Amino acid sequence: MASILTLRLCPSTSYPRLISPNVIQLRRAELGFDWCQLNCTSENRRAKKFVICALSEGDSDNHDKVLKSVKDKVFVNTRNAVVKFQESVSSVPHIFVTKRISTSYIAVGICIATMFLVIVMRVFTARNSRPSRPGSVADLVRRGQLRSDRRGISSTLKYEDPFNNPMVKISKTNSTVEMCGKVYRLAPVTLTREQQNVHIKRRSRAYQWKRPTIFLKEGDAVPPDVDPDTIRWIPANHPFATTVSDIDEDLAQTNVYQKHGVPFRIKAEHEALQRKLETLQNDQKFSKLTIDPGTARNFERPFKTQLKLDDQVEEKLSNGPSRHTQSDHTRNSLGSNTNTEDIQHT
Amino acid sequence: MTSLLTHSNPISYFPNSSPTLSKSPFFTHTKTLKPFKHKSLTVNSILQYNRKPELAGDTPRVVVITSGKGGVGKTTTTANIGLSLARLGFSVVAIDADVGLRNLDLLLGLESRVNYTVVEVLNGDCRLDQALVRDKRFSNFELLCISKPRSKLPIGFGGKALVWLVDALKDREEGCPDFILIDCPAGIDAGFITAITPANEAVLVTTPDITALRDADRVIGLLECDGIRDIKMMVNRVRTDMIKGEDMMSVLDVQEMLGLALLGVIPEDSEVIRSTNRGFPLVLNKPPTLAGLAFEQAAWRLVEQDSMKAVMVEEEPKKRGFFSFFGG
Repeated sequence: MASILTLRLCPSTSYPRLISPNVIQLRRAELGFDWCQLNCTSENRRAKKFVICALSEGDSDNHDKVLKSVKDKVFVNTRNAVVKFQESVSSVPHIFVTKRISTSYIAVGICIATMFLVIVMRVFTARNSRPSRPGSVADLVRRGQLRSDRRGISSTLKYEDPFNNPMVKISKTNSTVEMCGKVYRLAPVTLTREQQNVHIKRRSRAYQWKRPTIFLKEGDAVPPDVDPDTIRWIPANHPFATTVSDIDEDLAQTNVYQKHGVPFRIKAEHEALQRKLETLQNDQKFSKLTIDPGTARNFERPFKTQLKLDDQVEEKLSNGPSRHTQSDHTRNSLGSNTNTEDIQHT
Repeated sequence: MTSLLTHSNPISYFPNSSPTLSKSPFFTHTKTLKPFKHKSLTVNSILQYNRKPELAGDTPRVVVITSGKGGVGKTTTTANIGLSLARLGFSVVAIDADVGLRNLDLLLGLESRVNYTVVEVLNGDCRLDQALVRDKRFSNFELLCISKPRSKLPIGFGGKALVWLVDALKDREEGCPDFILIDCPAGIDAGFITAITPANEAVLVTTPDITALRDADRVIGLLECDGIRDIKMMVNRVRTDMIKGEDMMSVLDVQEMLGLALLGVIPEDSEVIRSTNRGFPLVLNKPPTLAGLAFEQAAWRLVEQDSMKAVMVEEEPKKRGFFSFFGG
């Protein structure tokens, strides 16, 4: 009997949260036995199996006793579990929850499906409307390979009138204007020429000012025949202005007006460098005339004859010091010869 | 909160004492619409443009962009107006006269190409044409920096150096530039005096707050004392939502306080910061942004020596059609 009931009730126990207490009461009335005992048949069955397995090796007398005690224990354990289950079942408000959840699942499913569709559509339209396909001229411009204003095949720049274009629309009554999708109410400007003149007079009374024409550093003497009002005093530590200039006014003006050729300072620096070079060269000539042949020897390039001479010197040194002076003499004479040759070449 | 146009006669700024919207429609620009009938402009349209603003005044037009207060958007304005003008086909030389704190090269994305400055030109280290940095996007736009960040400008010559520069630019072989824009440093120090010297017109950039307005009024006074009469105002970083909540002065309030003709109104736009970081001016953005469009409109007015006749005061909820639910 218990096994049949277990089989019957198993589907219902698999959804414990969805069953209302009313249903439980109904079932209890129908079946005519205690729900609590039956509900925990799975645990009972497991315990029974365990006990049977454990007693299969033991005596048959003790079998009934042990079984009875185990049954009692299992009953106590399952009772707690049943209470818990009943509590959880009673916390569920209504049986119609099942229906509600199913409809919400459908709604969520529809939402996800629509979202997916929208994303697919957007990606598709974006891919189609993309102006610069890879490798196109527009793409080259975007990547900075080509200058946009030099594109021969691009469409010409067609200027849109700022007062009459799709973004700016005026109403027929001239009372509103629509700009960038927003409608604004218009009000006429009421300022008259007379009002403007009144303001000009007011300001001329309020602000007496002469534009400074001379900039002087603090501490400089005021030049004669200069209106003190037109002097602007520049502090020595002014962050960006200075009265000090290393070029005079005429020269600065000529520099501004220069259209062609090398700029003044570049030219001046070049000339100065050239002059310096020339003077250096002249100095070198002069100094080379009085150059010490001993020091000049250090700058000579080694060549074969000299190498041979060096070998000879080494040999002579190995033979004896008496001939050393002669070899030195020859080397010096050679050195002096090369020096004179250099001077001639220059 | 951007600007709108404009009037038919650019010489007389206010033909009527109380200009009405019906009399001066915002986007009908008679000077520019007229040539539509001409054949020459039709050819231009085929070549490059739908239409082109007509340049008013003698060239080169030396415009100083100043403010008094720092951080109101002088350099941003210079970069965007300059490139807008170049885009319209005018040759432009932008001079960064902010001696100590130059930034225009960064905004234009040309910082790596600045090798020589005006200081080197004055000293004779290079010629003027070598110091001019040509923009690769628009070859009719050139940048000239006045000095390197760490060097000191010899201002013993006063503003004469900039006058010489303007004269030298006039006599160039390529031809005289249409516009010379001078980005003025903040304050009224030596840099300001140097920057305003060669200018014959000025654009005053301000934000709708009292600190900027006080400085702006002072600077306008100095400019007027110096003999610059053609001064126009650009109100930057305008927020219509704050104006609606009466937390910010409206553009009309600002105009009432300063009494200047409006060249443009630039709305607060996060794209400005983004474009600054990228070194890619706002006016080149595709699709155009609100602030970018406002800069372009301001550049258009600058070319035609024009001023705004109506301003956008507040945002209205957009009326939606029947099919708007379906994306229509």
